[in-house]
Amino acid sequence: MADENMKGMDHAEVHYFNSYNHHGIHEEMLKDEVRTKSYMKAIVDNKHLFKDKIVLDVGCGTSILSMFAVKAGAKHVIGVDMSTIIEKAREIVEVNGMSDKITLLQGKMEEVELPFPKVDIIISEWMGYFLLYESMLDTVLYARDKYLAPNGLIFPDKATIFMAGIEDGEYKDEKIGFWDSVYGFDYSPLKHTALTEPLVDTVEIKAVVTDPKAVLTLDLYTCKVEDLAFSSPFTLDARRDDFIHALIAWFDIDFTACHKPIRFSTGPHTKYTHWKQTVFYLRDVLTVQQGERVIGLLENKPNYKNKRDLDVKISYKLDTDDPTRQAEGCCNYKMC
Amino acid sequence: MSSFALRIEKEAPASSGSSEASDILNLKDDEGWEDAEPDEEETQFISLMDDEVFTDIMQMLKHCKEKHSFDFLEIRQRLGLDFYGNIKLVNYVRSRVHSGQAIPSDLARSDFDDEKFLKPVLEDDALLFTLDDLPQVPEISQESEHDKGKGVEKNSGALVARITELEESLRRVYSQYDAYRDTVKDILDKKWEDPSTGGPLGTDKEEKRDDDSHYFSSYSYNDIHEVMLKDSVRTDAYRDFIYNNKSLFAGKIVLDVGCGTGILSMFCAKAGAARVIAVDNSAIIDKARENIFNNGFTDKITCLRGKIEEVKLPVDKVDIIVSEWMGYCLLYEAMLDSVIWARDKYLQPNGLMVPSHMNMWVAPVADPDYVSDHIAFWRDVYGFDMKAMQSGIHEDAQVLDMPAATVCAEPYPFLQLSLHTTTVKDLVFKRKWSGKLKKDIDALDGFVIWFDSFFMPSREEVVPEDAKAEEWAASGKKGLAFTTGPGGKVTHWKQGVMLIDNTKDNAASWKEGEQLSGELEYAVPEDNSRALTVGVSWKFKTQEKEGSQIWKMR
Repeated sequence: MADENMKGMDHAEVHYFNSYNHHGIHEEMLKDEVRTKSYMKAIVDNKHLFKDKIVLDVGCGTSILSMFAVKAGAKHVIGVDMSTIIEKAREIVEVNGMSDKITLLQGKMEEVELPFPKVDIIISEWMGYFLLYESMLDTVLYARDKYLAPNGLIFPDKATIFMAGIEDGEYKDEKIGFWDSVYGFDYSPLKHTALTEPLVDTVEIKAVVTDPKAVLTLDLYTCKVEDLAFSSPFTLDARRDDFIHALIAWFDIDFTACHKPIRFSTGPHTKYTHWKQTVFYLRDVLTVQQGERVIGLLENKPNYKNKRDLDVKISYKLDTDDPTRQAEGCCNYKMC
Repeated sequence: MSSFALRIEKEAPASSGSSEASDILNLKDDEGWEDAEPDEEETQFISLMDDEVFTDIMQMLKHCKEKHSFDFLEIRQRLGLDFYGNIKLVNYVRSRVHSGQAIPSDLARSDFDDEKFLKPVLEDDALLFTLDDLPQVPEISQESEHDKGKGVEKNSGALVARITELEESLRRVYSQYDAYRDTVKDILDKKWEDPSTGGPLGTDKEEKRDDDSHYFSSYSYNDIHEVMLKDSVRTDAYRDFIYNNKSLFAGKIVLDVGCGTGILSMFCAKAGAARVIAVDNSAIIDKARENIFNNGFTDKITCLRGKIEEVKLPVDKVDIIVSEWMGYCLLYEAMLDSVIWARDKYLQPNGLMVPSHMNMWVAPVADPDYVSDHIAFWRDVYGFDMKAMQSGIHEDAQVLDMPAATVCAEPYPFLQLSLHTTTVKDLVFKRKWSGKLKKDIDALDGFVIWFDSFFMPSREEVVPEDAKAEEWAASGKKGLAFTTGPGGKVTHWKQGVMLIDNTKDNAASWKEGEQLSGELEYAVPEDNSRALTVGVSWKFKTQEKEGSQIWKMR
């Protein structure tokens, strides 16, 4: 296909991006019950925190969180979104009789003018794949520094990235090995590219070979934009004798301000979310025995050319006494 | 180093399973390491005369001799068979036994001299691999009888030669054994990595992951090409047409418009094309170039980056244009304009277009499940009315794979494009369509549009305008065809689905056998030449007012 004018985008992709303002993504997010119900509980079940407060919803989308906040007793909610979805949000707010309680502003957070100098609570669903890919966290931090009143609250206020090693021979072969012979032809140049692209996918818990380890915790009250480029060492303990074909990453989200703290996870051990998990295939296959450790370093930084892209680097070393299984290496990935 | 503490939280988990909560890996069916099967798996020799299986060749031959009075060693000795003679003998005997024929007792060489007996009768016949290693004992005993009374010196000379021969034969056995062991190891390794066969280290995933559930990975550079290459309906069709018609391609100059990873160009080169010119305006052409180099086609295939209208081809004319230009609803974002341009400028007057014909189909659909999942859903979202979100769904054409059961009337062939003659102005059209309900429906929910693609081996071939790809092969016609319709194997094009906005008027139910008809229009909006609008009008015979709606593909 490779249409001349589409610069490498396929039909599905064009369709997806163009339909962004319509249904697909919003429907998927609203139907993601883990996500939406956690926010609902965190907001609606904490009326004591929201009553008579001024609330800012960063990246409000269809305005579902803004409406939860009104239901929780907020005095006024300001929803901000760059996308034209805000027109739909306005209609939705109107038919739900909340127009006097919710002000919707289309534009960049950095450019819109809020009707209040300070807000008491910031709510936002800013998380992207691998937590940080195309996330709006920098916008949330900007809003926090500019608008959040002293002692104001952030929902959610904590995010933690986890990693683990998985056995994934069959699928690695299907995704990566595929390029070794395509209709009988050697396609190895595309194999190299495939290895550098983390895969967003659902991983079965049975595939997980190591204990999960938290590699990064972000406290939204204190973290800074610079902290989103990080370098974190990790140690993964093998839980059984098996192969490790890939490392995976996921995140947990906490609303610690709640009366009863609320948390949800996007890990392989719990219910499906639209964030799934992020799979980083290793060049080598590690053969591990129970009790052995994979030690490594996860480095993440925005691409210097395009700051929406992420450059991820994973260095790893299998810590074993068996000289025949010793392995170490380093892989560079690009989420773009 | 990170400025963040890597702390492990101790607080009680709430809501949806914390990653830190208890032991997420506490699996019931913990799989441990099991010892691999021993490498020394034994070869199996199937008896020449019956179904019995032996692990030792000599025992097998002994069995044949004692049970069936067939002395293989004696026969080969008597007839003085060489290596190929031995093979022929084995296959001759197996084929006779297989067809229930007796082996003549006075077996002669001429009985199995035919070359056809070089072809193994049994797959992986271990006996054939072991013929070399059969002992020559009878020979020796006979020889030694013949040699009786001859000089000791000659005898010892023969023995030395015999020892050398045996050593040689032992070395062969060793090397064959090594190769065999490697094969066994490979097979076991594969088994381990393929859980579906329940290998000892398999993860026993119950089912293969569904590719559709894989995130579309729009950021992925490879994925686009992976999706298309793995669309086997599409790629197999091109491959099969090209490889099955090598005579069409032999010695010809071929132009591949929008070559992508270069797969079609390589098919053509492999089919014997003298030269292939592969053109693409995307950066993927760098990968195509590498692929073409790695597969040894650099002297046959020339890659050019740029728009087909702008690049300078190294030839004036080409014999064949091959292109995979089809888009959603056939013409959305499609590059057919460019292909037509290339045809008019470069194709020889009697040149061939691959593929050659497209038949486009429309059918009415009734799909209450889809409507309730994706339209009714917005009526109550966590207690809020979000009907505002519904509107777009009726304005835009959706790309979906519709279950065949949702199609509620016979599909109607509304347009054929013959690639040898189609012009750009043919791509904007208004056509009549009609249908008859084949079942009762609660509401007419919309229309589904798809195309069938035909590959004909010459310009003169005619494809009827109502020809269905799925019936093409069975009809014994020339060339080949594939469908992208509901009920066919799903392709990456899926189908175009236009949903009728039934929210304003109450939708009417209709009975089986009701006739409906109307018009179907493809147009390009003035403000965006790359977009496509599809308009459909419909009217049931018993209906007073005609319905009509316009959908955008964007």
